[in-house]
Amino acid sequence: MSEKIKILYIDDELNNLVGFKASFRLNYQILVAVNTSEAVEILTKNPDIRIIFSDQRMPDKTGVEFFEEIRSWFPHPIRILITGYSDIEDVIQAINRGHIFRYVKKPWSDSDILSAIEEAHKFYLANSMLAIKNEALQKAYDELDKFAYSVSHDIRGPLSGIMGGINVAKHLNDISDIKEMLGLMENSVKKLDAFILSMHDYYTVQRGEVRIKEINLSELINDLKELHHANLIESNVKLNVNISQIEPFWSDEIVMRLVLNNLVTNAIKYQKHDNEDKRIELNIEVGRGHATIYVRDNGIGIPENYLNEIFDLFFRASTQDVGSGFGLYNVKDALLKLNGGIKVSSVLGEGAVFEVTIPNK
Amino acid sequence: MSNKKANFIIVDDSELDCFIADKILKYADIATSISSFLHASNALDYIKQSANTAETTIVLLDIVMPVMNGINFLEEFEKLPEEVRRGYHIVAFTSSMNKKDMNRIKSFKSVIKLLDKPLTSEALIELMGEIK
Repeated sequence: MSEKIKILYIDDELNNLVGFKASFRLNYQILVAVNTSEAVEILTKNPDIRIIFSDQRMPDKTGVEFFEEIRSWFPHPIRILITGYSDIEDVIQAINRGHIFRYVKKPWSDSDILSAIEEAHKFYLANSMLAIKNEALQKAYDELDKFAYSVSHDIRGPLSGIMGGINVAKHLNDISDIKEMLGLMENSVKKLDAFILSMHDYYTVQRGEVRIKEINLSELINDLKELHHANLIESNVKLNVNISQIEPFWSDEIVMRLVLNNLVTNAIKYQKHDNEDKRIELNIEVGRGHATIYVRDNGIGIPENYLNEIFDLFFRASTQDVGSGFGLYNVKDALLKLNGGIKVSSVLGEGAVFEVTIPNK
Repeated sequence: MSNKKANFIIVDDSELDCFIADKILKYADIATSISSFLHASNALDYIKQSANTAETTIVLLDIVMPVMNGINFLEEFEKLPEEVRRGYHIVAFTSSMNKKDMNRIKSFKSVIKLLDKPLTSEALIELMGEIK
C-alpha cells in the first residue's frame, strides 16, 4: 500500500490515546483527540480520514451523540464506538439508527481493533467505489438527457428535411429545381451520417479502454492528409504540417486520430469563404515528456463569449456549415482520459488557435 | 376559388428546409412575397428595417438554430415597438419533440401556431384559414 490508512481516535483519557497510538502507528496513520471539538478540527483538516474510533463515555458528550452530530458533516469515514458492557443499550440503539458501523468492547485487545479496522476499511472502499460509480452514472444520465433532446433535432431534423424534399418533388417540374434540391438533400444525408459517426466517436471515448502504444506521427499525418484530401481541394484550403520530435511518443492512437481529425475538420469548415489564402498550420512538438499540438487557422474565428462553451456537448457557436455539436466535446473528453488538455484562443474574423497538450506515457 | 394570401418570412438554418418551405408556399399559392433567412438575427434586422404596412406577414420560425435560436428570436421580437410588430404572425415549425421547448414557445403572445416538420401544403392552407 502506498499510503497508510488515516484513523482518528477520540478518548478523554490520555493513557488510552497513547496506548492506541503505540499499538497501531506502525501500520496506520493514527490521529488522536482528547475531546470532540478537537476531533471536529482534525476531521476538517483531514478529509481523507477513513475510520473514526470514539470512546462512549466522555465529559462533554457521549460517543454516540458525537457520531450522530458529525454524521452529516463528515459522511465518509466509518464510525466505530469503543465502550464497556454497561452502555450496551445505547450501542444497540446507535447501531440500529445507523450512526455507527460496529463497536469494540472495552478494554480492547489489539486483535479486536485490527479486525474492526479491516472490516471498516472494506466497507469504506465499497462505499467510495459506489460514490465514484454514482457520479459516473449521474454524468451518463445527464448526457442521455442531452442526447434525447438532440436526437429530435439532429436525427429527426435531416430526416424530416429529406421527407419534405420527397413530398415537394412531386410538385416540381423544373429539372434544375430538382437538381438543386437533391444537392441540399445530399447535405442532409451527409449531416446525418456525420452525426452518427460522431456518436460512435463519443461511445469510443466514453467506454473505450485507453491503449498506449508508440505513435508513428508521420503515418498518422499521412492518413490525416489522405482523409481530408478531397475536402481541402474542394474548399481551397492549404494544410501545412510541421513535426518536431526528439523522443518517441507513446499515447493512444484512437484518441490522437480523433483529436487531429476533429480539429482539422473544424479548421476547414470555419474558413472565410471569400478568403483567397485559406490556411491551416498544424504543428506537433514532442519533447520533455509531452506532445504539444497547435492547429492554427485564418478562418472566421470564435466570438469571445463562446470560447468557454465550445467544448460543451451539442453547443454550436456558428451557423456556418453543418456541425453536430459533438466534435470538440469528444476531443476534450478524449484528452481528459490521457490527462491531456486543450486550450483555444481566437481573434474574431482572423482565425483560431487550438493548443493541445498530451503527456507522453 | 382564389386563396387568401400573405407575405411570408422563413427563418431556418437548414437550407433544405428553407427551400422546401419556399416551394411549398409557391405550390399552395398563398404567398404574395417570400423572404428566406438562414440566420435569425438577419430576419430580425429585416423586420426592424421594413416599412410596416400592417399587411399580414407570417414568419415561419425554426426553433433549434445555432447562435440565435427561435426562442432568442421571439424574445427580441416581442421587445420591438407595437407599430413594428403589427401584422406579424409567428408560426413555429420544428422537428423537435422537446416538451419544455414547446411550452416555452407557446407562451409567447406572438406565436399563433406550432407546426411539425416537414411542412405540407395542407397544413399551410389550413393555417391561412385560421388567420383573420
